[in-house]
Amino acid sequence: MRLKSIGSFPAQPDRVWCAVPHPHLPLVATASTDRVVRIYSLRDFSLVSTIEGGHKRSIRSLAWKPNAKGESVLATASFDSTTGIWHRAEHAHDPYPIIGGDEENEPPHSDEREEEEEWRFAVVLDGHDSEVKSVAWSPGGSFLATCSRDKSVWIWEEMEGDNYETVAVLQEHSQDVKMVVWHPEEELLASASYDDTIRLYKEDVDDWVCCAVLTGHTSTVWAISFENAGSQSRLASASDDQTVRIWHRQPKAQSASPAQQPSIIKQTDDGSQDWQEQSCLPKAHSRTIYSIDWSKSTGLIATAGGDGRIVVYKEENVAGDESTQGDSDGSRKEWRVVAQIPSAHGVYEINSISWCPRWDKHGKKMGEEILLSTGDDGIVNAFELKL
Amino acid sequence: MSDIINANPTILNASDLPTRHSHARKKQSSSAYIADSISRLPTSRSLLYDPFSSLPTGEDSAYASGASDKDEDEDETAAEDIDEQEIYDLISTISDPEHPLSLGELAVINLPHIHISHGTPTPENPTPMSHVLVEITPTINHCSLATVIGLGVRVRLEQALPPRFRIDVKIREGTHQSTDQVSKQLNDKERVAAACENETLMGVLSNMLATCK
Repeated sequence: MRLKSIGSFPAQPDRVWCAVPHPHLPLVATASTDRVVRIYSLRDFSLVSTIEGGHKRSIRSLAWKPNAKGESVLATASFDSTTGIWHRAEHAHDPYPIIGGDEENEPPHSDEREEEEEWRFAVVLDGHDSEVKSVAWSPGGSFLATCSRDKSVWIWEEMEGDNYETVAVLQEHSQDVKMVVWHPEEELLASASYDDTIRLYKEDVDDWVCCAVLTGHTSTVWAISFENAGSQSRLASASDDQTVRIWHRQPKAQSASPAQQPSIIKQTDDGSQDWQEQSCLPKAHSRTIYSIDWSKSTGLIATAGGDGRIVVYKEENVAGDESTQGDSDGSRKEWRVVAQIPSAHGVYEINSISWCPRWDKHGKKMGEEILLSTGDDGIVNAFELKL
Repeated sequence: MSDIINANPTILNASDLPTRHSHARKKQSSSAYIADSISRLPTSRSLLYDPFSSLPTGEDSAYASGASDKDEDEDETAAEDIDEQEIYDLISTISDPEHPLSLGELAVINLPHIHISHGTPTPENPTPMSHVLVEITPTINHCSLATVIGLGVRVRLEQALPPRFRIDVKIREGTHQSTDQVSKQLNDKERVAAACENETLMGVLSNMLATCK
């Protein structure tokens, strides 16, 4: 496989920290040092709308709310220590179905864009003492998590009428918290930190509690990404120590018969979960790895970082006869680098990498994924994976 | 910062500081390039208020054109144009935040503690990175200003060097009681970016950098 550039989005004047695809529309939003959120079309890579004036300092990350009905909801995390929530109606004549927008059923698009209706500022979430670094919605959209240099992770719950209530302030980390990510199906939150650890949290009766600490990285953990759940739960992490590690949740030994064990592990008394390091991916980066994304549809992992390199990894079956440490069926799985591209942003560092669906010019999903990378050069690049 | 942390630092005589004597002429073109780049730096005022967002627009274009000119003119040697002495010249003139002296005079910055490596262009990767590592020697081992000094060095280099340079600023092993913590902070991109949006801190830094030629 190889990565091939399929174009770039219009250049921005400053560092782009991240690009996040919309949950069901052919849109991607970017967060930038120039305090502007730009929303681009994934059909033709054009600029669709911007959000300006909401933050006093860099916008570090953003998140689209899943399952938002009839409107798009975006959360923005800023170095000004606040998180903003923004709404925009999905246009009445929007060519895209809002729920369950299956590519087959989509009507042919018109050239209309959602330009008429502006973004509406809904609420600012105050509370962190210093820069907010990351923001994430829970899979059902009911909880919002934020994290900050103030070492804390906050969980907010949306109430009626643009009100958000703080339901938890988790101060488990001893240093900056770099990123928060929710499990794709469970209300299980993970945070990555400058203190070299990853922590997991879940609601236990009334309180959110830390249920696992993942140690092993020898420097800042910059980014984490869950595997699309299925039968097992795994988490991938990328670090300043230039390694990528896979963590695996161990089934509870004392739980009921495995046949009846659902994918969501039954809680035991102390509520803790046993996560173990499963593997370390082949070394491919020579500088800090800033971003990782585990594709929810292909299972491929992509990483990018300060060395300007994008790397794609695939888990492959290997013949088990040479190793006794195989699974029960005798085969063994191993991660391999299947594609990479050096200097994907020229001489500049890459801040984020993300998989997103590929859309054609008519607004139809093409059934494959592309990679979006953002760099210190103010560019968002798109790549396809060619066999 | 009203209390002087180190009241009696050791001071080097200016004539003892390392300079480029015999090579001065030979390196003129690249020095001129740097001087040209520096002349395009934002004024201290814009640095103070908005260091990073004001930089890439004007400055990147300056570098982009500068770099491409170079590639045409001296393709073979393009990757070797900046050496340790030039890095030294860029950062040794930074003022100490509490003494009216330069980091070179205080031996905080020392030529032997600057390390540069240049990548080799390959067909796969025609634009390899260059790497500079600067090890700082704080005047005393509990100097609480080590972070500010390190940040000043990093900001100076980020502004003055072409973007292909990856910059590591570290506290020299054994010269500070919290070497690892300070070094880790100085090399955390996000912390540095956030620090550069802190007006008070940038005010201190712009004073330190005001003495750079």
